[in-house]
Amino acid sequence: MRDHYDEFVAAGARVAAIGLGDRAYAQAFREQTGMQFPLLIDAQRVAYRAAQLRMASPLHLLYRANFRARQRARAAGHSQHRLGQHPLQLGGSFVFGPGDVDRFIHVSETFGDNATPATLLAAVRGGGDAVRA
Amino acid sequence: MQASMAAALAAIRLDDVDGRSIELGWLWRDAPAVIAFLRHYG
Repeated sequence: MRDHYDEFVAAGARVAAIGLGDRAYAQAFREQTGMQFPLLIDAQRVAYRAAQLRMASPLHLLYRANFRARQRARAAGHSQHRLGQHPLQLGGSFVFGPGDVDRFIHVSETFGDNATPATLLAAVRGGGDAVRA
Repeated sequence: MQASMAAALAAIRLDDVDGRSIELGWLWRDAPAVIAFLRHYG
């Protein structure tokens, strides 16, 4: 997502990421990645739980899709940093607003199951009814 | 009627890496916001 930050801003959106772990861990990640948008720390998983994000099964590590996702990430130049306290926590991505309006919801089903930047950008530009991916 | 996910998250306050407390709803109050929950830092 960070590679597409300028496109989101040009489309009129704010961008933020939420992560687990402590501040030192998050600061190191921001410095390593050059992230331009706010990185919020949810060490207690309050927002993760409110967003109904899932926990993976350890068996997901063996899925072929997980292997392919790691290959894609490496090919795109991304490397995995520390996993932290909740290695089985899955992520998600959302497009909200203006106001408390859901435009797009993607709750990851397993590792590497992420909404594409193009999908998120379309949700920003499109508005309208909420889409759950 | 089910509240939106945005409404469910709006009142939560989290600190950013510089220690500033941000209410999540502020992010999308007057503009669309893309919010990514990371699986890990990487």
